[in-house]
Amino acid sequence: MIRLGPLGFLKNHKEASRRTELKIPSETRFIRKVSNAVLSKIVDYVLDEGKIFDIKLCIEEAVRNAIVHGNNCDRRRLVKIASWVEDDNLHIEIEDEGKGFDQSKLVDPTSEAHIFKNSGRGVYLIKKLMDKVEYTAGGRRITMVKNLK
Amino acid sequence: MAVKIENKNGLTVCYVEGEIDINSSPSIKKVFDKLISSKTPKIVVNLSKVTYVDSSGLATLVEILKNMRSYGGRLRLTNLSSKIKSLFEITKLEKLFEIMADEQDAISTFA
Repeated sequence: MIRLGPLGFLKNHKEASRRTELKIPSETRFIRKVSNAVLSKIVDYVLDEGKIFDIKLCIEEAVRNAIVHGNNCDRRRLVKIASWVEDDNLHIEIEDEGKGFDQSKLVDPTSEAHIFKNSGRGVYLIKKLMDKVEYTAGGRRITMVKNLK
Repeated sequence: MAVKIENKNGLTVCYVEGEIDINSSPSIKKVFDKLISSKTPKIVVNLSKVTYVDSSGLATLVEILKNMRSYGGRLRLTNLSSKIKSLFEITKLEKLFEIMADEQDAISTFA
């Protein structure tokens, strides 16, 4: 059995209060609700505006990809979102009900051949702005991590 | 989101306000489609009141630029916040667009 001292208890309690779990239908009007919900749980971290912008953007890009590319905007399909804070790192997990995708087929949207194209910038921005990004479940689930300190 | 259009020194200057994202992009595109259909030769877009741009917003601006270039039109973006400018830098779109710090400079040097 693990015994937690008073500080350990407080830390666990604080981390639990920062947890978000949501399920949304595949409609883009719900995107902002997700970023607001996640950001509302970390308001006690003193973050500069740039970091808040980055977190908001990456959440919204990932949710949009799940809705549009994962679930093909089929509102009967859900997007699941979970976020939590662990050791001052914000973890955000977003999962769709689609077929997944092959990461190796992602193109570089900054290359001359693709710079005028409309797709690919969302994932590219996520990879640039987050500290850690991982795709699992055949590409249906993305987990992003951003340090809050 | 709102777009106000003014004529300054014979140039079309667009003031965009609010967010350019997946939800507002279609309305922005509609405003610029009108200017493009009349082959407006030079457009300055002042983004000082734009607080947020996502990848859909970037794609919309790229499309506007592409459509303008198809008839030899030119587009200048001005007064970007440091955060929005950094998105253009990360995505290397700064090389594609004429980005200027100040609207007045963009107008006075738009030969």
